[in-house]
Amino acid sequence: MTLPESPLGAELRVTGVRLSVADAFRLSEMGIRTGTVAHVTQHAAFGGRVIAVAGSRYALDAGTAALIDVESVQRHP
Amino acid sequence: MSSPCSATHELPRMSCHDAAPASAPAPSSDRSGTATRPAALRVLLVGGPNAGKSTLFNALTGARQHTTNAPGTTVELATGTWRTTSAVLDQAVDSTIERAVVDLPGSYSLLARSSDEQVTADALRELAQSSGEPAQPGVVVVVLDATTLARSLYLLAQVAETGVPLVVALTMLDLAATATDSPTAATESGTLAAALDASLGIPVVPVDARNRATGGLRDLARAVDDVAAHPRLVTGIPAHAPSCGCVTAAVREGSLPDLSLELAHAETLFTWVEQVVEQVTTRCALESDVTRPGTSDRLLHRRTFSDRVDAVLLNPWAGIPVFLAVVWLLFELTTRFAAPLQGLIGQVVDGPLASGVTWLLGLLGLGDTWVQGLLVDGLLVGVGTVLTFLPVMAVMFAALGVLEDSGYLARAAFVADRAMRSVGLDGRALLPLIVGFGCNLPALAATRILPHARQRLLTGLLIPLTSCSARLTVYVLLASAFFPAHAGTVIFAMYLVSVFVVLGAGLVLRVVAFRDVRAEPLILVLPPYQRPHLRNLGMSVRMRVGAFATGAGKIIVGTMLVVWVLMALPAAGQHAVGDVPVADSLYGRAASGIAPVLAPAGFGNDHASAALITGFVAKEVVVGSFAQSYAVAEPGGSARQGSLGEELRASFDESSGGHGAAAALAFMVFVLAYTPCVAALAEQRRLFGWRPTASALAAQLAGAWVLAVLVFQVGSRL
Repeated sequence: MTLPESPLGAELRVTGVRLSVADAFRLSEMGIRTGTVAHVTQHAAFGGRVIAVAGSRYALDAGTAALIDVESVQRHP
Repeated sequence: MSSPCSATHELPRMSCHDAAPASAPAPSSDRSGTATRPAALRVLLVGGPNAGKSTLFNALTGARQHTTNAPGTTVELATGTWRTTSAVLDQAVDSTIERAVVDLPGSYSLLARSSDEQVTADALRELAQSSGEPAQPGVVVVVLDATTLARSLYLLAQVAETGVPLVVALTMLDLAATATDSPTAATESGTLAAALDASLGIPVVPVDARNRATGGLRDLARAVDDVAAHPRLVTGIPAHAPSCGCVTAAVREGSLPDLSLELAHAETLFTWVEQVVEQVTTRCALESDVTRPGTSDRLLHRRTFSDRVDAVLLNPWAGIPVFLAVVWLLFELTTRFAAPLQGLIGQVVDGPLASGVTWLLGLLGLGDTWVQGLLVDGLLVGVGTVLTFLPVMAVMFAALGVLEDSGYLARAAFVADRAMRSVGLDGRALLPLIVGFGCNLPALAATRILPHARQRLLTGLLIPLTSCSARLTVYVLLASAFFPAHAGTVIFAMYLVSVFVVLGAGLVLRVVAFRDVRAEPLILVLPPYQRPHLRNLGMSVRMRVGAFATGAGKIIVGTMLVVWVLMALPAAGQHAVGDVPVADSLYGRAASGIAPVLAPAGFGNDHASAALITGFVAKEVVVGSFAQSYAVAEPGGSARQGSLGEELRASFDESSGGHGAAAALAFMVFVLAYTPCVAALAEQRRLFGWRPTASALAAQLAGAWVLAVLVFQVGSRL
């Protein structure tokens, strides 16, 4: 699934970034890359998303968020 | 108790590209017996956006700082002097140590993606190339945000690869201490710094720049001086990427590196960062005697205070109204709030100050001469214009500072992103553009909130097309005179035209000159909400207002003097200099010469052209110019407005062949689209340089003429 399809508060792991190489590179430099664990903290206007990664908050527009593939993280008690 | 770090005098201006003055580590003595270093150590502050870099810069340099553009760019750099005394550094010899500090633009990476980031990369390249030369010593202070350790460490790794002497200033410790979901959450600042110190092998100084007395600034001073004398390398950083010249080479050579190779190299840095974070986390856990699970496992998400605020401010329904309310507040602050202060300054300049100068000149026997005209009507008017703008600029800078420091500005960019995407601009661009409808001058100043220089330039070229409140006086006069029954509708239409002109010009500029400015994916780091620090805010406002007064002020005063000279010199008749009727002055002749050019727009008469020339100085005086040229008083009441309106209708009807209403509409469109005022022009020059300003001036005049002709030609045929 993609980031916009993820519910609020969900714990996710990034499985792929389908942005251009340059944009994906910058995203990885900023801390979001395949394997990163994130939480959706806010649904914003026009489909934007705010995610939490290692204590930081990132705002992504709808188009960018739609190009980030994620999977749910299953935590075992 | 004196502050440990204070600035008492200014070093020569320097940019990141300048070589620092020669320096020697050993102190020498001056005539007062106080030993001083003969030259300053260069200190470059490097860090990510919102890492606390500028706050640290303000704390280090105090009042002795100024802004300048990096050579050949429109990227603003703050430079200043960081001074410490030997007592502060616990040294036996009475000495004063000065360091030239440069606050480099915030960067996420040295692989620059904007001219701002390029300036930072270039500055490090310069320092790396000269770091072996004892005459040009320099140290880089990497400002490491404790709340975003991994991202900050990545930048640190890139800087370390350049081989420059490094010190880490660890900031945002108060926020890190209360954080709930970062790897080092709730870790004591000293523990975190010690853990980082041990892992990195370079000095790591915890800093609270908001507290100059006990905020670690003296420790930072010691660390910087120590590293300047005995450089150390970050441990564990791969010296070279296996597949390419790596970041070091890319930065050193200023070349655009191969991205795929850089990606491979970046992976090694990411791995290093993960190792350091893991080490630090483990060390902190041991030190705190707390059993912590592995980094990746323990990051269970907890809602922070900022999350709760964002739930309102970024809410899909509430976010946009809140943003519009903030913009409205800015608009009000720069118009209504600043207006009384402007009025007061204007009264003082026009009243007691002008009277005082006139009286003084009378004592010197220069009363009622051209000298009095030059000083009172030229120089003093120019100075008064600059002074009256200072409250507006101060209010705007303070308001933007509050928005920025509080953390809301990034949210505003996020909320407004969709609206600005069509012209390839950051959402933040909407803020100055809307402020432009109040006054173009603070709006131009507000472009500094945009992260990329090209975006700032594009926005700065569009702002003069926003219909400022000064133009409203012209709309009111002409709309009332030509469309008395529909004046309100006509004025409203002018604001709509302004919006369309801005959008149209934005699209044209993107195609013609800003193809590199594209609607990039929006990936914004949202800093935690914080309470703005008044002292830092005050220093920032003072520095920026000072830069405006000295930068744009000179041009404004110079232009006012030129206008006075044109009005004072006779072109016809027997008149003394400084006592020339407008029609016989060079100014009047210029107006007559321009009138034929305006004929296709239907307002090719001397009155209109003279008013437009005056409007170049300020739009507020267009109405006054009309009144003066028709030899009636400026409209203060309905009866007088009626007489001016009649004069306007008569002359516009005459010059347009009986299509006065169409000519009036064309005139209003011209007023909307051409240069707002000389002050805005001066600010554009200060921010973007002569070439873009001159090009914009020519484009505005040409565009205004084309639009006005179009309006008249279509309107006169309806």
